[in-house]
Amino acid sequence: MTNHWIDIKNADVILIMGSNAAENHPISFKWVTEARKNGAILIHVDPRFTRTSAKADFYTRLRSGTDIAFLGGMINYILQKKKYFKEYVVEYTNASFIVNKKYGFKDGLFAGYDPKKRKYDKSYWAFELDRNGVPKRDKSLRHPRCVFQLLKKHYSRYTLDKVSKITGTPKEDLKKVYELYASTGRKDRSATLMYAMGWTQHTVGVQNIRAMCIIQLLLGNIGVAGGGINALRGESNVQGSTDHCLLFHIWPGYLKTPRASLKTLAEYNKKFTPKSPDPMSANWWQNYPKYSVSLLKAFFGDKATKANDFGYSWLPKLDDGQNAAWLILFDEMYKGNIKGFFAWGQNPACSGANADKNRKAMAKLDWMVNVNIFENETGSFWKGPDMDPKKIKTEVFFLPCAVSAEKEGSITNSGRWMQWRYKAANPPCGIKGDGEIMVELMNKIRKLYKKEKGVFPEPILNLNWPKEYNPHEIAKLINGYFMKDVTVKGKRFRKGEQVPSFAYLQDDGSTCSGNWLYCGSYTEKGNMAARRDKTQTEMQARIGLFPNWSWCWPVNRRILYNRASVDKHGRPWNPAKAVIRWTGSKWEGDVPDGGWPPLATGKGKYPFIMRKWGHGQIFGPGRADGPFPEHYEPLECPVKRNLMSSQRINPTVKLFETDADKWRSCDPRYPFVATTYRVTEHWQTGLLTRWQPWLVEAEPQLFVEMSEELAQLRGIKNGDKVVVESPRGKVTAVAIVTKRFKPFKILGQTVHQVGLPWCYGWVAPKDGGDSANLLTPSVGDPNTLIPETKAFMVNVRKR
Amino acid sequence: MGGKSFFIDTSRCTACRGCQIACKEWHGLPATPTKQWGSHQNPKDLNFYTYKLVRFSEHEKRGKLVWYFFPDQCRHCIEPPCKDVADGYVKGAIVKDSETGAIIYNLELMKKVPFDEVREACPYNIPRQDEKTGMVAKCDMCIDRVKAGLLPMCVKTCPTGAMNFGERDEMLALAQKRLAEVKRKFPNAQLCDPEDVRVIYLVLDNPKLYHKFAIASVTPGITRKAALRKLLNPVGFLQTLG
Amino acid sequence: MKMTRRDFVKFTGVAAASVTLVNLGFDLKPAYAHAQILKTRMAKETTTICPYCAVGCGIICHTDLVTGKVINTEGDPDHPINQGALCAKGAALYQMINNSGRITKPLYRAPYSDKWEEVTWEWALEQIAKRVKETRDKYFIHKNSKGQVVNRVEAIAHVGSAALDNEECWLLQAMMRALGLVYIEHQARI
Repeated sequence: MTNHWIDIKNADVILIMGSNAAENHPISFKWVTEARKNGAILIHVDPRFTRTSAKADFYTRLRSGTDIAFLGGMINYILQKKKYFKEYVVEYTNASFIVNKKYGFKDGLFAGYDPKKRKYDKSYWAFELDRNGVPKRDKSLRHPRCVFQLLKKHYSRYTLDKVSKITGTPKEDLKKVYELYASTGRKDRSATLMYAMGWTQHTVGVQNIRAMCIIQLLLGNIGVAGGGINALRGESNVQGSTDHCLLFHIWPGYLKTPRASLKTLAEYNKKFTPKSPDPMSANWWQNYPKYSVSLLKAFFGDKATKANDFGYSWLPKLDDGQNAAWLILFDEMYKGNIKGFFAWGQNPACSGANADKNRKAMAKLDWMVNVNIFENETGSFWKGPDMDPKKIKTEVFFLPCAVSAEKEGSITNSGRWMQWRYKAANPPCGIKGDGEIMVELMNKIRKLYKKEKGVFPEPILNLNWPKEYNPHEIAKLINGYFMKDVTVKGKRFRKGEQVPSFAYLQDDGSTCSGNWLYCGSYTEKGNMAARRDKTQTEMQARIGLFPNWSWCWPVNRRILYNRASVDKHGRPWNPAKAVIRWTGSKWEGDVPDGGWPPLATGKGKYPFIMRKWGHGQIFGPGRADGPFPEHYEPLECPVKRNLMSSQRINPTVKLFETDADKWRSCDPRYPFVATTYRVTEHWQTGLLTRWQPWLVEAEPQLFVEMSEELAQLRGIKNGDKVVVESPRGKVTAVAIVTKRFKPFKILGQTVHQVGLPWCYGWVAPKDGGDSANLLTPSVGDPNTLIPETKAFMVNVRKR
Repeated sequence: MGGKSFFIDTSRCTACRGCQIACKEWHGLPATPTKQWGSHQNPKDLNFYTYKLVRFSEHEKRGKLVWYFFPDQCRHCIEPPCKDVADGYVKGAIVKDSETGAIIYNLELMKKVPFDEVREACPYNIPRQDEKTGMVAKCDMCIDRVKAGLLPMCVKTCPTGAMNFGERDEMLALAQKRLAEVKRKFPNAQLCDPEDVRVIYLVLDNPKLYHKFAIASVTPGITRKAALRKLLNPVGFLQTLG
Repeated sequence: MKMTRRDFVKFTGVAAASVTLVNLGFDLKPAYAHAQILKTRMAKETTTICPYCAVGCGIICHTDLVTGKVINTEGDPDHPINQGALCAKGAALYQMINNSGRITKPLYRAPYSDKWEEVTWEWALEQIAKRVKETRDKYFIHKNSKGQVVNRVEAIAHVGSAALDNEECWLLQAMMRALGLVYIEHQARI
């Protein structure tokens, strides 16, 4: 979230799209309700009518996988009707930037496409630079190659007529949503966008969100109270686990994983430290080496020295261009290339797309370690449906771990609040906390390497690893401390002292920090995440900021890009809901995005400080599939052609080729669009909640929701057991025949859609049904490789 | 008339079912076996171990779909017919707490009161019996919590302000205020039997669309004794038992 | 920093309540004993954050001082986001902690076996350490096909977890990276 949960109350319009917030983030509705009390309009756009829709002022439907068409129509509307916030667009976004002559777009393809590699050469999308190397701008927005004009041209194709034909949303509904949402393109109004996996789990997932970012930038809704792009994250610490980068492509704090061609730390730092010749651009990532060296010091402590490149070569490098994302991981496992596997607090036998491929892949492992609270479909895969234990070699170790309330530590919520939790009780005898397990296991491995030697033992033996797990010690390491007595920015620090903020991190090895973003979270003042002080200034109270409650990254800034909430003089666009304000000598309100004075003083910086050029990116030349979002159909779809172009699917999508990777489009055997989701009462695969009788009582079994029309077509009655099958698998489910699902009219043809939750599995409860991910395809977004589990094709029949 | 009351604003209910589970948590009530039966409403009905149940109902009105949620529970009637029945058998089987107005069942003593009569007396079809022990149970207003200055668990747990609890006059005032607010958009909005019960529901539409027993199943204006006789309709009740 | 004690347990009120109810002739089954005395009256309070979605709601855990067991969980009224409220899952936290389905010993499934066996932590961790070392040493890649130093292991993969604490996440990624793993993924990718 650029903003935070309480801030939702400040919105004038709330659009929930790609999310069912009322069911999956129920407490968010406390703040949605609060906004509505103040007169806000709630809009819900979703293929199905949910508990969120039931509370909306306006609800409309779209076919799964057509969000870009829907939003493209909104961009077109905003531009045609001149509803954008002009000053914001001109000053704070890259709308005025001139794009080079090689850029182009034709029939669904941007310039620079290589059909063999299914990849773009992004140099075709570069900005035109002036003599100093700064992008040329036309603040009149008239230049035919300025971003604004290219945007206008691109989205002029998204007419109401076309959008309605693609999405199945009635034209008058489209107009109504566009009108309501675009009403916030004014200084005194803001709109927030709440999305979740309904947007990410598509082969155009990133571009779904990009499309909305463009809308929010056009309307001046980023950085302001009641605005922003708010990803409603689904796991208690998925924000923190992402920040600390349990991901192949990034190191803690979103630093890049090194590549084979970057032989030295200097080469690595050079590659990933952007240079901006524009003095007005803060270009925050220019500090990259300070963060990377401090991270290496956290990894290896005193063993990391300048002489050994701070241990840079001890850490693994990917080949250039190598991708090790989830879908590839399981593809490799399926091919037998992975021998050992840790499934730690995760249940890929149910959570991964094309789950049967994952389950079969596990049978090819030599060993697996499964750490969890309850028995689950991953650890017990060898005795699952269609498995013959006698033929499965995989050794499995199951390690039982503590529940959250049985250990101490912090988690980071969707609004980036790092909150400390205490230990309420010891875990039952025989159970260990995850931290304890990892520390003990690694110490056993270290002992083996010490005793028996082994291949390349340096990183293992030099690792700064504790003897016992102590969350406070690790929290202090993540924050970082001084490795020697040193003076930084005129301040003297002693060895061992906590670093007060990332502004003090150094690239010479004198500081360590496990994650620069969290520098400031555990300082000499104490554990900031544990703070429970609700004091606030009047200005903060007005917009619901609690700066002294827990701690928020970065530097306790509660609303990101908040310098875009003020004009060039530092005056809030909307004084009634001011986020920050320049008093003439300092900023008040939230922690500003950098302490420089306002732009008008000549000493200011552009507000989007993490971007190289300091501007909100309407034109996004960094994405794999184009600088502007373009509608493509899902890999599996009910229509023979894409109405927007002759590219039916995203041209940069990676297709897997094993016998488990099957997909069918427009195949009469799989005539219905399907989508997956969760319910309030179960969490993710249901691993934790399916063992809890109260929650099972409320949602006991797998169901499939369908329209009355489809039920009639298939002779299905409410409550009947039915089979849902895709080219990849099938599940048995109870039919919920409901008015909340309706067939769509797409290009004159009737398209039925069904939906089912993925929170069940064969282990428990006994007659609960299996995972809906047995149906979903293993194909992902070209930028993130997040799988497309929200739009695929199935058949439904009575059992 | 003093005491406490609930105000349940169904227009704010999102059916997150926090109240339904929290009620079980606080009272230490076990789950009952359920099946998916073509609805998200589960358990299907109130039972001996379920004092609070969010009821779901969907309707289509002039092409517009509505999905109504109704967090059902004992209304803690001002003049509880169930107590009249019980008083005729065992004194103290059902008591009314003088301070709050809570209607409380004594599990042991209720064994001696014919359950059919209690259930038939209830205009809201609330009491449920444990077939094995013969005990009868329902919402107790979290009397232990209320007496300790805490909110009933369902009210505390509610995220949206659908569940409210407090002094009766305050709750009535809040109910009237909310009614006036929603009336503008929903002309059929109404409060369910606000004068007769301590759990006052605000509904946006005909109460029967929310739940068969959303309002009392007797005509108001007649005496309680007469009502008791009149509302006895065993066949109807048996159907809802299924 | 521990929070200050909330002023919501009024002992006089509780005492009065129990007297009233006793006078009314209450004789309740053990499961209903709380109706007489507020069950959390003598419990220790700790705060936690809900382990489910990322709204980050505050929850209070009540721990019995004698048994050391969690006897109640409910929303934290001081928490600015949820102000005491919880959804169905959050309201059921008690049942995740006190759950007879929890596994309380490490389990081992031998090759081709059709059952789990209970094993000791010592044995399990030692065996895992051996497997890690064997696989790592056997499949370690010093240089790629271009001759560039890569020092990585592709034969071991790791997934998880967004349910871990920050401190655990950091340690876990450090451990896996030090072992040379590149297949490190978790819930954020799906």
